[in-house]
Amino acid sequence: MNALLYLSWNSARNRFLSAFRRVRSPRYAVAVIVGALYLWGFLWRPVTYPGATNFLLSQPSEMLITLLAVLTLAGPWVFGSDTTALAFTQAEVSMLFPAPITRRGLIGHKLFRAQMAVLINAAIWVFVLRRGGTFLPSPLRAVGVWVLFSTLNLHRLGAALVQSSIKQHGRAAAKRNWWSIVLFGFVGAALVTGFVVSRQELLGASGIGDFFVAVAHVLAQPPASIGLWPFHLVVAPTFARSIPQWQHAIVPAMAVMGLHVFWVLRSDAAFEDAALEASEERARRMDAIRSRRSIVVPKSAVAAKTTLRLKALGHPAMAIFWKNILCLRRTAQFRLLIGPAGMAIAFGAAMSSGARDFSLWVTATATTFAALLIVFGGRLVRNDLRHDMLHLPLLKSVPVGSTDIVLAEVASATVPIAAIQLAVLLIAYVASFGTERITLLPSTRLAILAGSPFLVLALNGALITIQNGMAILFPAWIRLGAAVSTGVEALGQNVLAMVANLFTLLVALIPPTVLAALTFQLAGGLRAERGLLVLWLPMVVAAVVLGLETYAAMLWLGRAFTRAEPLQTA
Amino acid sequence: MISVLALTKLYGDFAAVRGVSFDVAAGEILGLVGPNGAGKTTTLRCLAGIIAPSSGTVSIAGHDIQKDPIPAKRALAFIPDEPHLFDYLSVEEHLRFIARLYGVGDVESRIGPLLDELELGDKLGSLPGELSRGMRQKLAIACGLLHDPSVLILDEPLTGLDPAGMRRMRATVTARASRGTGVILSSHLLNLVEELCTKLLVLRQGQAVAYGTIGEIIAAHPALASKSLEEVFLTLTATNPAAT
Repeated sequence: MNALLYLSWNSARNRFLSAFRRVRSPRYAVAVIVGALYLWGFLWRPVTYPGATNFLLSQPSEMLITLLAVLTLAGPWVFGSDTTALAFTQAEVSMLFPAPITRRGLIGHKLFRAQMAVLINAAIWVFVLRRGGTFLPSPLRAVGVWVLFSTLNLHRLGAALVQSSIKQHGRAAAKRNWWSIVLFGFVGAALVTGFVVSRQELLGASGIGDFFVAVAHVLAQPPASIGLWPFHLVVAPTFARSIPQWQHAIVPAMAVMGLHVFWVLRSDAAFEDAALEASEERARRMDAIRSRRSIVVPKSAVAAKTTLRLKALGHPAMAIFWKNILCLRRTAQFRLLIGPAGMAIAFGAAMSSGARDFSLWVTATATTFAALLIVFGGRLVRNDLRHDMLHLPLLKSVPVGSTDIVLAEVASATVPIAAIQLAVLLIAYVASFGTERITLLPSTRLAILAGSPFLVLALNGALITIQNGMAILFPAWIRLGAAVSTGVEALGQNVLAMVANLFTLLVALIPPTVLAALTFQLAGGLRAERGLLVLWLPMVVAAVVLGLETYAAMLWLGRAFTRAEPLQTA
Repeated sequence: MISVLALTKLYGDFAAVRGVSFDVAAGEILGLVGPNGAGKTTTLRCLAGIIAPSSGTVSIAGHDIQKDPIPAKRALAFIPDEPHLFDYLSVEEHLRFIARLYGVGDVESRIGPLLDELELGDKLGSLPGELSRGMRQKLAIACGLLHDPSVLILDEPLTGLDPAGMRRMRATVTARASRGTGVILSSHLLNLVEELCTKLLVLRQGQAVAYGTIGEIIAAHPALASKSLEEVFLTLTATNPAAT
């Protein structure tokens, strides 16, 4: 067997067996049972009403997913590629880089390993989509999803290679890759032209559903459809509604995937050619590459030019909060906010499309963005125990109580997310006075604004505590570290994890909701003259109750943290 | 300073450390030696409060590390063989972070001399990724020494240091001990142990096979008289004594 195949296969097998052996621990055994029930409920449970899946597989969804694929693929070109696409482990760097293996061989190894994640996530999506009332057998849908995810993964890898080449060889590399720049320029122009030409149709939509149908319609018509054509080829097999339709779609999709394989390998060859032209530069770069565990030239380390003041005396847990805020400042990937921001902008446009009301659009966009950050914030900001469990020996040797450590870690992620949410909610509040479509009384708006800091902190704190709890309780099963897996190949796993977190939050929200409803009734219900107090008080009560629940969870997690041992995170 | 009684650490059925007892008084340097897998690092991690013993007690500066962990940890510094540093904190920020954790009020006056002592004075704003392996080890040592601990636990402290750094580290350990710090030093460098340590604890398969001054150990094993420390070590730690 090829040495790299041997490495991949045995690594995957041993990792699985190692994770499986954890089940001997009661905590992990309980987690397996809960996880199995969850997976059954989410993926296998028979559903009487397959409406949601049918909507996912509808023609408008197909066009919107195509647009999403274009945006995903354009991301590395517009905002710079993600170097983690080509990152290697320390062991791989130590053993493979000095070994007589070509650079192409290393990339092939990377591609092969990515396939494992692609296959797992393709399987998850096939289970999610199988509930749709379509006539396409699951294995055929699986092939379609696999082609889609593989192509997106290949593109991410190719973009990283091309940008690496451009960074190293400047104009010469840009000349070699001119066609990819022209392609995305053409796609962008086609989309913009399509939306401009059909703006009346979009602005005339009279609701959220209508708006997205109108967007899908615009995307399905020239000129946008011409720009989307190569991308639609890849998406089409997943959305095929019959076997003949799938057979018709799969060949072009596989051809696009094949072209991507060719492109990735061609980028590699071009790199080698250029590297030979400047051997001294190459040697210097490769040193940098090797020391930083990536075969692309990474961004230079974020210099510690500015810092935050930290007093030498005071509660020691503040030091952990300070450290984590510095971590966020120096490692934050702001481009991860683009997804939620894009969704919020689209939703805001859908809400205000019929009214042609800018203030309404701002209000809806800002409110949606704040709400989406509750869902996605914890995934984007990870400067807490999901990162620091890798430093467990250090954290456990410092003179700070375990609960204080958990509290400081949770606050490190909660406070920045809440700060962004409160800022956009303030924008929404101000903008809401510029539209007549929002009929809430000024006192009601003020009550919501005044109550939102409590609720936002409580909701984020609870959700971040859940995520940190997973890192403390199941460090062997959780991805630890600052990096978040952003590739589409991890989409299925991310969705599963996110839904599980939200479900846990929903359970935790039952007592606060009941008590808030009682407070609402006791405070006078919907009597308008007492609107401020009637809304503000239940919001604060809900936040306090949720905060107490979260604190109780932190005390429990603190005890679990005391028992956590470095071997568990190995 | 350090008192360990019947320390045992089990991983399932496997005993990494079994019934180990020893004491380190103020100013003493205890050398912890043993072959790979003897339980040295597990013992040190139990002493530092990183892992909980399965049974037995560990007292640091009069505080039980399990029952009263905060004062116990405030009195000690644990410097592991592999420096655990935060990639995103500069050298100076590491020291300020540690200062806050341990409540070092006069950190301003300590940072300069400490970094000069460890030849890191010109690396104040550098991130760990910009430092060599040896410099990262020096930074970990600086973090350990900043709060002037009364108990110092060192796991292979010379790993990655250059000859000058090694000499300076030896001098630092000796100087700290002479000022009353209780030191535990785990190392495979037997000449270092022989040079610095006032007492020796030899572990084999999780158990203490010898404990005391070198003189006391040889007195307990007359056959080892006139042998080098290396021969003493190999004899005591041999799983099959006949083979040595």
